[in-house]
Amino acid sequence: MKFYEYLSKNELGQMHEATLQLLENTGIYATSERFLGKCAELGLKVDGHRVYFPRALVEKGLSTAPSHFSTWGRDKKYEIKWGEKKAYNHTCVGTPFILDVETGRKRDVLMKDLEDFVRVADALPNTDIVSCIFPQDVPTHAVVTMQTAAMVKNTTKPLRICIESAHETNFIIDVLAAAVGGMDELRANPIAYLEISSVSPLSYAEGPGNGLIDVVEAGLPLGVIPCPMMGATGPMTLIGCVTMHNAEIVAGIVIAQLLRQGAPVIMSPRVTFMEMSSGLGLWAAPEMGLAAIASAQMALYYDIPCTVTGFSCASKINDEQAAFETFYNSFLPAVGGVDVLGASGSLDNALISSYEKLIMDDEITSMIQRTLRGDAVNADTLAVEVVDAVCKAGAGSNFLSQKHTLRHVRTELWQPLVSDRQSYGAWEAEAKSYPDRARELAKKLLAEHRTDPLSPDALAKVEAAVQAAIDAGE
Amino acid sequence: MSRILREIADAVEAGEVDDARELAQEALDDGESPQDIINGGLLAGMEVVGKYFKNGEMFVPEVLQSAQALDAGMQVVKPLLAQGDVTNKGKVVFCTVNGDLHDIGKKLCIMLLEGSGYEVVDIGINVPTADVVAGVKEHQPDILAMSAMLTTTMGAMDDVAKALKDAGLDESVKVMIGGAPLNQDYADRFAAYYSDDAVSCVNLADSLMSA
Repeated sequence: MKFYEYLSKNELGQMHEATLQLLENTGIYATSERFLGKCAELGLKVDGHRVYFPRALVEKGLSTAPSHFSTWGRDKKYEIKWGEKKAYNHTCVGTPFILDVETGRKRDVLMKDLEDFVRVADALPNTDIVSCIFPQDVPTHAVVTMQTAAMVKNTTKPLRICIESAHETNFIIDVLAAAVGGMDELRANPIAYLEISSVSPLSYAEGPGNGLIDVVEAGLPLGVIPCPMMGATGPMTLIGCVTMHNAEIVAGIVIAQLLRQGAPVIMSPRVTFMEMSSGLGLWAAPEMGLAAIASAQMALYYDIPCTVTGFSCASKINDEQAAFETFYNSFLPAVGGVDVLGASGSLDNALISSYEKLIMDDEITSMIQRTLRGDAVNADTLAVEVVDAVCKAGAGSNFLSQKHTLRHVRTELWQPLVSDRQSYGAWEAEAKSYPDRARELAKKLLAEHRTDPLSPDALAKVEAAVQAAIDAGE
Repeated sequence: MSRILREIADAVEAGEVDDARELAQEALDDGESPQDIINGGLLAGMEVVGKYFKNGEMFVPEVLQSAQALDAGMQVVKPLLAQGDVTNKGKVVFCTVNGDLHDIGKKLCIMLLEGSGYEVVDIGINVPTADVVAGVKEHQPDILAMSAMLTTTMGAMDDVAKALKDAGLDESVKVMIGGAPLNQDYADRFAAYYSDDAVSCVNLADSLMSA
């Protein structure tokens, strides 16, 4: 499949040039002394709290970032091949609310929900990377460590972790290492990539600044994920906002590469929006999808792996709006070329998680991945011979009994997860909507799916790392 | 209402900063009283803006432009007011909580609160709990407003509420919270008040002040 080019090469070149100008003349603002000290050591121009990036260093940093690498599940059958633009699906991080699967009502996320949600994600066929919803019944100072532990216990799939509180970084890494049998194994075959979030416009606060250094020094894949809000913390043009946050990402990538040449890095652009009649944050269609494809094209331009949001919508329930917004926001960047689509299972601008939505997004993913697989054109697929044979075989002949049909019947037709494709009569017997059927599957998986457990030794080490994080804050 | 007051109101509504400043001066020169210029011109214009905003007919950047026009007019008139002539609807101390650096929501609420007639003291972002309490002690506001953008930082609000209680300040100040991950249930845990967005933030402040 040929990727869709929303922006031309020439336009991307202009955005790169603007990025260089911002980094060279405006620079980034940083507060961490450790971060500023490192930047100076690396040859960047540090003046007080501002760091300026000479063009030559930016080009150098971009040139050593690897275009391809892999992350893995705890179970090695799960491999994320970064750089191949396969549009993997990752579940939404950080939602404080969930639609209760029994009542359908919005409520706070608890640790039990996180475990259950991860377990259902573990079971779903097209949900590739697991991130975590946000429990409100655990101590804040150790929350990301506890989330990480819950994830390694409840899924064997690859993980994505946002280091929202950098003081926990080392405990988080300890949990990951414990789950796979040590730091050397974690470094060789990482089961997670860790993301830091710059604060727009063009600023690296203490946490993300130190987090960046910690992740790179630990030898783990780093993602940089700014979230400017167009018109509020970024300029009021889509291209301007994409370009500004591209500069934030490039700043992080360049520092990572100067710290350790060839360090695996991921661009995670997230331009978001403001509902200008209320000030609310929007992760809605069509802007989210448009900013995502523009940003993904910048990553293609640099040949660096990239994630975008994908499965977000402003809708509060699993209705028609949720479906078409999500499809737009995920399909558009996917056909532009992207490694990962994020925020699966989310509603309400990535604030609510929902099992029904998680299942819908899993199914959308399989449809997108069917699209990306493409359709090869060759003698076999053109099928001239079989058409000729059937037509000349005389009246009543058809394709159903052809060997050609038999050979392709299991691969050419997309298979739905829960979408209805029955006759009207068969459907009418139960007359269930999509969310009804998705909820049934969620309940079945909740009742039946068991994740392959950690070994007792690994489990004990994971628990010890969690306890250390809890003790550190008391 | 005189023609010039009408024009001042229109300038505020249209967000014409220079016009609002010049017309306010012109009105003073014509002998209009500072009180009338404020109430009949500047605030009258802002009231219309508030109505449009509530109905979704004006957008945030346009409202901010009107607030700047209002402020430009105020700067002309204010020095002529006698002490005590300026009344405000109430005093608000505002911050983002410990760990949170995201302040666009706070800025937006402050501009709308000020535009609506509140005196707001902005004590900053990422404010440690002890400093929030110190801010309340120093400024003695009617309302303490806090915002948090991250699920990892919202817990700090609970800490502030406890610290206010320990300092014996919880009776004298009402606590208002807002931010993407919050809701009224969370606010209820420490007897605070929650608003969904910047518009309802002003409405909430109004209802707290009249309670």
